[in-house]
Amino acid sequence: MLGNFEYKRIRSIEEGCQYLAEAAGDGAVLAGGTDLLVEIRNGLKSPQLLVDCKGLDVLNVFSVDDSRSTIGASVALNQLIEHRVFRTTHPALADALASIGTYQLRNRATLVGNICNASPAADAAPVLLVLDAVVEVAGVEGPRTVPVRSFFAGVKKTTLKPDEIVTAIALPARSGLRTAFRKQQRIRGHDLAVVNAAGAYSPAKKVLKLAIGSCAPTPVLLDPIEVDSKDNEAFADHVIETVLRAVSPISDVRASAGYRNAVLPILVKRILHELLFEGSGA
Amino acid sequence: MYDIRFTVNGQPEHATVPATMTLLDLLRDRLALTGTKEGCGIGECGACTVLLDGKPITSCLMLAVEADGHDIETIEGEAVGGGLSVLQQAFIDTGAIQCGFCTPGMIMSARGLLNRTPDPSDENIVEAIAGNLCRCTGYEAIIAAVRLAADRLAGAKQGRGQS
Ligand SMILES: Cc1cc2nc3c(=O)[nH]c(=O)nc-3n(C[C@H](O)[C@H](O)[C@H](O)COP(=O)(O)OP(=O)(O)OC[C@H]3O[C@@H](n4cnc5c(N)ncnc54)[C@H](O)[C@@H]3O)c2cc1C
Ligand code: FES
Ligand code: FES
Repeated sequence: MLGNFEYKRIRSIEEGCQYLAEAAGDGAVLAGGTDLLVEIRNGLKSPQLLVDCKGLDVLNVFSVDDSRSTIGASVALNQLIEHRVFRTTHPALADALASIGTYQLRNRATLVGNICNASPAADAAPVLLVLDAVVEVAGVEGPRTVPVRSFFAGVKKTTLKPDEIVTAIALPARSGLRTAFRKQQRIRGHDLAVVNAAGAYSPAKKVLKLAIGSCAPTPVLLDPIEVDSKDNEAFADHVIETVLRAVSPISDVRASAGYRNAVLPILVKRILHELLFEGSGA
Repeated sequence: MYDIRFTVNGQPEHATVPATMTLLDLLRDRLALTGTKEGCGIGECGACTVLLDGKPITSCLMLAVEADGHDIETIEGEAVGGGLSVLQQAFIDTGAIQCGFCTPGMIMSARGLLNRTPDPSDENIVEAIAGNLCRCTGYEAIIAAVRLAADRLAGAKQGRGQS
């Protein structure tokens, strides 16, 4: 038995928002449950009400194309990873999702749950940040959208209101972007990232976006970096310096701050190689 | 309390469960299907793996109420008509079982893999069982068992095709 809560399988998003509003902060949306049920079991959370949206068809769909992609809140990670067009359209996001947990877990876990959980180590977060993803939200006062860069408020905290449900994540046009994801972890499938990072490079605009996870209370999106240097080595040093100034890693159960500071430049270099120095890349 | 209807190994079931009960507890404590094991209870060991609508999931991280309307398959469904399944026999033949605690979960993960990829590469097998911890065998014999089962199933299919 887990905790002490009621369970509602909702028939409309409005109904779900209403239940959450009535629970006044003591309610939680149940998606895959792979974070929520563990936290309830470990006593870290004790919601009185779980609102299950998985019965709603509107949240169980995704559409992918070059101009815009939308991923519904109930779509399981494996549905995306195993979708050929998704993988080729958003390779870095597919890599990040495929690196999450185990096969069994990815049959339940969702992309929306990954960011709503707001772990600093959430693997989807850096990629969504560099892709300028937008979070679509429903609440008792109606729908709104939140750029993912304004979504995280702290460790395990988002800017969602207690009555709000994320309905989908929208990804804007890819417009020739090259993207990459890198992750350092201790044990594949059984641990979170020690450091993760994503990059998106626009060859047309010569602008690089980088985002770093597990090195601050929230995933960090750096200001866009102009790529004008002819000297790869000097450019890499400049980027690494900028990255290290933007983060504030701590020592925790997974790694020391020193280790994170040492690994981060390596991941950033690998991303630069893939996106800029090797020429090709996805 | 919540009334739920679902199937387990093809049999229709009905149960009245509290919201806080996991699918794992429902299977073990209510339905006495104790083949499914609880190792960690937090999604890390895979001992509780069952198939939900044909796909492997960890039953410790799913509520019993969430099973309403779904099909569940457990290790008890492997041996049909009293005989061992091809997967079970392959685990015995390659020596892939020592203490046996991980075996039900391993076989369910392997079953899920063979459902979606009948001719898996070793890499596919490793990825499919990465969420199943085994403290005894060192995994090599388990990978060999899944390979052997896939080969035997393909052979049987071919045999049928020829005759
Ligand atoms: C063994 C194990 C390994 C893991 N490995 C990784 C890993 O490698 N990388 C990683 O990033 N994570 C990992 N995780 C964490 C977790 O699996 C992921 O974050 C997953 O994506 C969460 O999705 P979910 O659908 O299960 O979310 P849930 O657990 O259902 O929800 C998570 C949180 O988000 C809220 N929420 C969910 N959906 C909505 C919504 N639509 N609107 C508003 N709020 C919502 C919930 O109320 C809850 O607070 C791991 C977990 C386990 C148990
Ligand atoms: S008991 Fe479910 S994964 Fe360990
Ligand atoms: S055989 Fe003992 S844990 Fe796998």
